[in-house]
Parts: sequence; structure tokens; C-alpha cells
Amino acid sequence: MATATQEKKQNIKEEDDLFAHRISIDLTPENARFTPSGGNLISLEVTQPSGDVEFFERIVPVRAFPVSSPNEFISIREPDTQLKGRGSEIGMIRRLSDFPDTVSALISDELSRRYFTPAIKKIHSFSEKFGYCYWDVTTEAGRVEFIMNNPTANIRTLEDGRVFMYDIDGNCFTIEDPKALDKHSYRKVEVYL
Amino acid sequence: MLPLDKLSEKLQSTLTAAGIDTDRIDMILKTDQDINGQLGETYLVFSSADGILYRVFETETEKFPLSEMTEPHIDNYATCNRLQVYRHAPDDLPPEQGDMSDEDYRTCLRTYNCSGTTIVLGYCTNACKLKLLAFVNLWERLRKGDIITDDDPIFEQFNRTCPTCGRMYRDPKRRVCEHCTKKKGTMRRLMSYFKVFKLQLVTVILCLLATTAISLITPIVSGQILFDQVISEPSFNEAGQQITGSMHELHYVYIWVSVLIGLALLSLGIGIIQNRANAYLSTRVTRNMKNDIFTAMQKLSLSYFNANPTGRLMNRVNYDAERVRSFFIDGVPYFISHVLSYIILTVILFCINWKLTLILYAPIIPVVLIFKFALPKLWKCYSHQWRHSSAMNAMMNDSLSGIRVVKAFAKEDAETNRFFTYSSRMYKANLRTNLVSLTIFPVISVMIAAICHAMWGFAGFYVMNDWMTYGQLATYMGYTGLIFGPLNFFTNFTNMVTDTMNSAERMFEVLDTTPEVVEAENPVKLDTIEGDIVFSHVNFHYAPNRPILKDVSFTIHKGDHVGLVGHTGSGKSTIANLITRMYDVVSGTITIDGVNIKALDMNTLRRNVAIVSQEVYIFRGTITDNIRYGRPEATMEEVIAAAKAANAHDFIMRLPEGYETNVGIGSRSLSGGERQRVSIARALLMDPSLLILDEATAAMDTETERLISEAIERVSEGKTTISIAHRLSTLKNCNYLMAIDNGELAEIGTAEELMERKGIYYKLWTLQNEQLRKVMEGE
Repeated sequence: MATATQEKKQNIKEEDDLFAHRISIDLTPENARFTPSGGNLISLEVTQPSGDVEFFERIVPVRAFPVSSPNEFISIREPDTQLKGRGSEIGMIRRLSDFPDTVSALISDELSRRYFTPAIKKIHSFSEKFGYCYWDVTTEAGRVEFIMNNPTANIRTLEDGRVFMYDIDGNCFTIEDPKALDKHSYRKVEVYL
Repeated sequence: MLPLDKLSEKLQSTLTAAGIDTDRIDMILKTDQDINGQLGETYLVFSSADGILYRVFETETEKFPLSEMTEPHIDNYATCNRLQVYRHAPDDLPPEQGDMSDEDYRTCLRTYNCSGTTIVLGYCTNACKLKLLAFVNLWERLRKGDIITDDDPIFEQFNRTCPTCGRMYRDPKRRVCEHCTKKKGTMRRLMSYFKVFKLQLVTVILCLLATTAISLITPIVSGQILFDQVISEPSFNEAGQQITGSMHELHYVYIWVSVLIGLALLSLGIGIIQNRANAYLSTRVTRNMKNDIFTAMQKLSLSYFNANPTGRLMNRVNYDAERVRSFFIDGVPYFISHVLSYIILTVILFCINWKLTLILYAPIIPVVLIFKFALPKLWKCYSHQWRHSSAMNAMMNDSLSGIRVVKAFAKEDAETNRFFTYSSRMYKANLRTNLVSLTIFPVISVMIAAICHAMWGFAGFYVMNDWMTYGQLATYMGYTGLIFGPLNFFTNFTNMVTDTMNSAERMFEVLDTTPEVVEAENPVKLDTIEGDIVFSHVNFHYAPNRPILKDVSFTIHKGDHVGLVGHTGSGKSTIANLITRMYDVVSGTITIDGVNIKALDMNTLRRNVAIVSQEVYIFRGTITDNIRYGRPEATMEEVIAAAKAANAHDFIMRLPEGYETNVGIGSRSLSGGERQRVSIARALLMDPSLLILDEATAAMDTETERLISEAIERVSEGKTTISIAHRLSTLKNCNYLMAIDNGELAEIGTAEELMERKGIYYKLWTLQNEQLRKVMEGE
């Protein structure tokens, strides 16, 4: 239980912390060791430029450019906790591909769970009634029905052709390439693109 | 079992198979994602009797002992919600209080709670978010040993059902049942706006019917009477009955021509009456609708305005009301008259000559098909055009509002190019619309013309064979021309209905949204407020998983001058918003003079509490109007006194028109500091018993700030004042200070006491002092 005690020490707010600010560093395979945590999340052991080694039981990856470069500029942050309040940034990963495959897979899996945006593969039915759209689609994560309010405002097309759709609960769906959809599915969204 | 999610039969059998007694379950949560974060179903089954949380995924059941898990919390990010807990080793027991002080024990317990391994119990999308929040809340309460009943207020949010049909509201915030508000309901409500003007409405419809009747009579007069009986030579059929020429005399020509002219004049006269009634009706109905929407909007809480941009709200007042009006003025009456005239026309046509009519109706089918299939294409074009034009408007709005920045960065060319991109998109959309409409409409009119010409041919054949008189032919052709009008109208009508219903729904959404902050039914009215404020265990959040204030309790006595310090976003301004009741607390209570502010009369509250916030808004009008905003009846002396107290008098007197200078959008613009001083004067004029200054002097130089704080000190003698500031020098007159950190009241006491505590205040003070020292030493 060595890590547990180490981690407990971490969480105690000390007087010296008052003026201490965490300085975000560039995380590289040399100074950062990401490992799966005991609870199927991610732990990080980081070597600060001063040579100190810090251990984080759990870290939170956040994308700086979730739309245009989802696998670059990833901020690795401490989680927000009741005890320490808002977590600050530990460091940033410039490119996920700089890391060994196992590590980049670990982080990108976590990212795709956090940014749950299933891509629509097929549109089974779509109907519009009084400003509400009712969708029944198959996504890469499974089949789902959702309701959208005001499709003109909630369907966003990017310059590169990707489409983002937001439903009334605030969930997000994407169509990677609308033209690659089958004819029937495409015709249903055509008007809004 | 608590009514969160129901125990399905499948789950029941899975649980029974795993040897779990379903009677010992407290609650069930069904999430819409599986344990790998994919779409699927997972059940979390909570049993405090077993002391275990079961997680059921498909047929597998996992057990999590409740005693080993602390602090269930939700990790929310964009579309993903995760239920996380800290799991401790079975031998890692929570600390015991022993002889620790309460405060120390709490810290110690918190440290324990946040230790251990973080594990994820389940995932769900935003669709289940509210249930997940309730689950966590109930878990915490069950752990404390609370007894929760089925009618606990927490379940109310899930039971928001429509009183008419009993179905659940789709959007719990928007109490509109989409099943009941459909066509009929919405129509009925819309009609209520017109009911007031019954007389006009009836007039409009009667006029329309009359003009329709005239248009139907005219072909008979001109064809069968004028042509056949007057102009044609008398002729007889085989049976000896006279067919034509029964009035073959000159004076009959004058009579029937005058009848025709008379009919035309009558139709014109009726048309004028109809239009006048229409104008009366439509302008008044629009006015009433717009007034209703604006009144409803003004009553809504601040949170509604945060969620809906101003542009969209203005659109609702303007565009949607206009759309609804046009439907009832240009749609419904015409629909009635067109339906009637279409039926009558068909009957007449068949009566005149059923064989010809059959020939006529055959080619009408392709015309209707064109209407049906080609016109939607055109509407698509129109909607494209509309979207591009609104994108262009948004771009222009953006660019012109930010013109200072554009010029400062010398980006005029880039902005121009951006505009070109939008305008060329608009051009393409316009071109396409024009091309499509210029193809469809000529084709349609050529087809109609072709049908008419063909009918002349067929009918001519009938006339030449003496199966029909020439007058009948003229009448017949007159009616044929009339039949296409209604057809065109019907294809458009369905679209019109949908659009209107959308507009009406949006309009009623505003009218139906229940304000979050509602005045009590029998509010307590007080003449003056003394200014004793008590916060007890106040919790507040704007979004459910982001607490802004956590269990805040404090007391402010009458006449106190209190300073609030803390980091940006720590919740200081929120406290000000809660005291003025811009928002309601989530839990806990706020009392003023011992009265819960929820029970207090809104007028009493707002009249006695003045707030000068960081966002200063100057309305269009004179400076006097702006200062007098809260008390329009104030005298000139009072206005000047307030302006002097706010140190605004001097700069106002330097303006050419003094207190009558026009300010606000499009007029003379005031500097940031000047605006702030006007808004302080506005607050001081109210002579409030409770004054809240939320970063009120942040945009002023130190000297002005000093003058103002002295002035405020003078006028606020014996009044309660709450100052929120980053600059600690602003707070030097305060009796005591409160430091807010991360939504919690971290420190309270006099400046000296807080310095000794070496906490947040100490930190802020040290940092600001250091800065000052650096400046002094010229570092």
C-alpha cells in the first residue's frame, strides 16, 4: 500500500501550498509514466525538471482542440476533488503519437469515453414535427433514438464536411462524412447541411 | 423501493438468479451506457440492507460493498457522465474522532474520503444525467441514515407530467406537453387572440365569401346571359324550346353590361371593406401578441436570459408574432373561401358539361404533381437562402460591433474578404433559388395555358357540333381559369401550417415557461428593511454538477459594512445575486430581517436593496433618466445629490447639456469609469437600506475610488453595505471581511484576524503588497 500512503500525503493541504503554483510542463515519454490505475483509470508518475518525482493516483486528459486536432495538445490535469477544489494542469502532451502505443491507446480510450460522440453510420428514420426532430440512428456505439429541437441551430457543419448534431439532452453525435452515408440516410439530412 | 427506475422482469430474474432478495433493494438506476462507455444498459442496484451496491450488466452481477466506498461523485465532461467513488481497502477504516476538535475531525475525514482508489461505477450520457444526480444525492442521504419516502421532493423532477394526458414532459424545464399542444391545442390558443375581434373576423370571412360568390356568378352573366341570350341570334332546339337570343334587344346589352360592371364595383367595394377589417384586426392582434410575449419575458428569471441570446428573443417578439398573424389573416380566410369555391367550381363544371370536365381533370393531375414535387425543391432553396442570409447578418453584426478591434489589428481587408465569402455564398443560394423558381413557374404556367388552349379546342368542337352554346363555352372557360388558384394555394397551405405552428410553439414556449424565481402567494410586505441578513446552509449551483456555493452560513447585522474577498469565480457575485433574489437558493435559507426572502414581497426587496454590479448598463435616454431609473419620481435636487455622492456631478457638468445629455447606444458614449459612477448614483438615489457594491469601483483610478468610497461611507451611515472587491484597498472601511474560496466561506473576521490566520486573505494581501513594494522599489 505504498502508493496509497504517498497519495494520502498528496491530498493534505499544507500551509506551504498557499503560495505554491503548479507549473505546467511538457510531458514526454521520458518524464511521464502513464499506467492504468487500480480503478481502470489512469495514473501518472511525473519527473519534474527539478528531479522530484510526483505521483498522481488519477489524472484527467482534456483536449485543447477537440474538433480539429483531437490527438494533439492534450492537457493532463489533476481531477477536481472535494478536498482540493479545482485541479490544475500537470502538463501537456504535444502529440499523442510521441508515446508508445500502449500509452497512447490508454489515453485515447479514456479520451473517447470522456468525449462520447458516437459517429452515425445509418439513419433509420427521421421525422420533424412542430420544431422537434425525431431521429433513429445506428452509431458506432450502438443504435439510439434521440430528439432534437430546432435542427437549424443544432446541426453544425464544419468546413471539412464533418457534421455535429446536438440533441435536447445535450448529447452530441457526429457524421464523419455525410456523402459516405447510404443514399436513404443522406437524403434525410441533406436539407440541413 | 424508491421510485427512481423500475424493476424490470428481466432484471428481477437476473437478480434472483444471483441470489439477491429484491425486497431488500432501496433503489435502482438504469444507465444508458455500458461499463465500457458504449451505448447499452447497466443497472446499479442499491441495497442498504445488504450493504452492497450491485452492478448488473447483461447477466453478470458485480458486488461493491458500500462501507468500502466513500464520496460518490459525478465526473461530467461534455456528453459523458461517470459515477466515481473512492474505494478503500477492507482494512482501511475511517478515522475516529477521539479527542479531535470538530473542525480537525472534518478535515481528517475528508482526507480519508478522498483517499483510496478512484473507481468508475457506471457511465451514462446526458439523457440520464438528472437520474444519476438524484441517485448520488439519495446514496449520500441513505448512508447518513435518512429515511426517504416515495414522495420525497427529489422525485418531483421525474414526475413532471402533463395534467391533460398524463405523459411526462420531454423537457422538464419546459412544461409543454408535445402531445397536447399539437395542432388543436395551439390552434385553439391562437384563436383566443382573434376571439376578441369576433366582429372583424366574421366580416372578413363574409366579405371573402361574397367576393368568391361574385367571382363565381360573373362567368354565368357574361357567358350564358350576355352571349347566349342577348348577343346571339334567337335559335331553337328540336323540341322547339328557345336556347339562345331570348333577350336579343339592344337595351338588354346595356342592362347586362351594367350588371357586369356593377358586380365588379361590388366586388371592389367588398374588397375594400374586407381589407379595412383586416388591417384593423391584424395590427391589433399583432400588438396584443407582442405585448404578451414581452410581458412574459420581463417576468422570466435571469437564467432564462443567460440561456437564450438576445437576438433569438427579439426574433420571437417580432418574427414569430408576425408569422402567426399572417397565417390567420392571409391563410385561414383564404383557405375557407378556396375550399368552398373549389367544391362549387367542380360541381358547376360537371353540371355544365361533365364530359368536358373529365377531360379537364385528367391533365390537372400532372399539374398537381408538379406543385407537389417541384415546389418543395423551391422551399429547400428558400430555406438555404434564408440560412445564408442570416449567417451573413450574423457576420456583419459581429464585424461591425467589433469594429474597434478590427481597426486596432488592421484587419479591415480580412473582414472584407470574410464578407465576400459570405456574400458569394449568398449569391450562389440566390442564383439557385432564382434558377429553380424561374424554371418551375414558367413550366407551370405553360402547362396551365396549354390545358386552357386544349380546352378551347375541345369545347370548340362541342360548340361546332351544337352540343353546347357559345355562351356556355365562355362560362366554362371562365371557370376553368379559376380552378388553378385554389390548387396552388392548397400545396402551399400545409407548409404554411407547419411554419405557423413552429412559430406559435416558440411563442407559447415563452408564455409557458415558468419563471424559476416566483413571488410568494401572500408575500410579506415591509415598509423598510433594516438590513439583517442571515444565510443558513445555503447551497447554490447554476448547473447541477457544478456547485457554486457549498453550505454557506453567515450573519450580517444592520449597519455592518462587510467586504467579500476571494478568487475570481469563487462565488462572491453569486452571493450578491442571491440576496437580490435574481436566483433562488437550491437548498438552505436566506432571511432578511428574519423573513425568508422567498416569502418577501419582491417590490419590498428590490426597493430596499440596491446593487451596483460589475456589468454596468446605461439605457438610452438622458443622464437624469438613467439616474432616476429606479425612482422616476425623484426630484432634481435628489438627482444632483446622488450624482454628487457618486462623484459624477463634476463630469456631468462638463458635458454640454449637463444632466440632459443623451447617453446610451448611438449617443454620446461615456467612459467606463463615468458609466460606473452613473450607476452608483442610480443605486444611491434609491436610498437603499442595503447596498451591494459588486466590483463597483474597479474601473476607476485610485483617487476617484477613494472619493467614492468616502461618499458611500457618508451616505451609508447606519445602512448595511456589502462590498465585493479584488483590490483590498477598496475594503479598508469594512467592519469585517469574509473570504470565499471555491464556494465555501473559508474565513470570516476583521482584517487583522484574517491576517493572523494566514489563509486566503493573507495570501491576497501579501501578493498585492508585494506588487506595490515592487513598484515602489522600481523593480
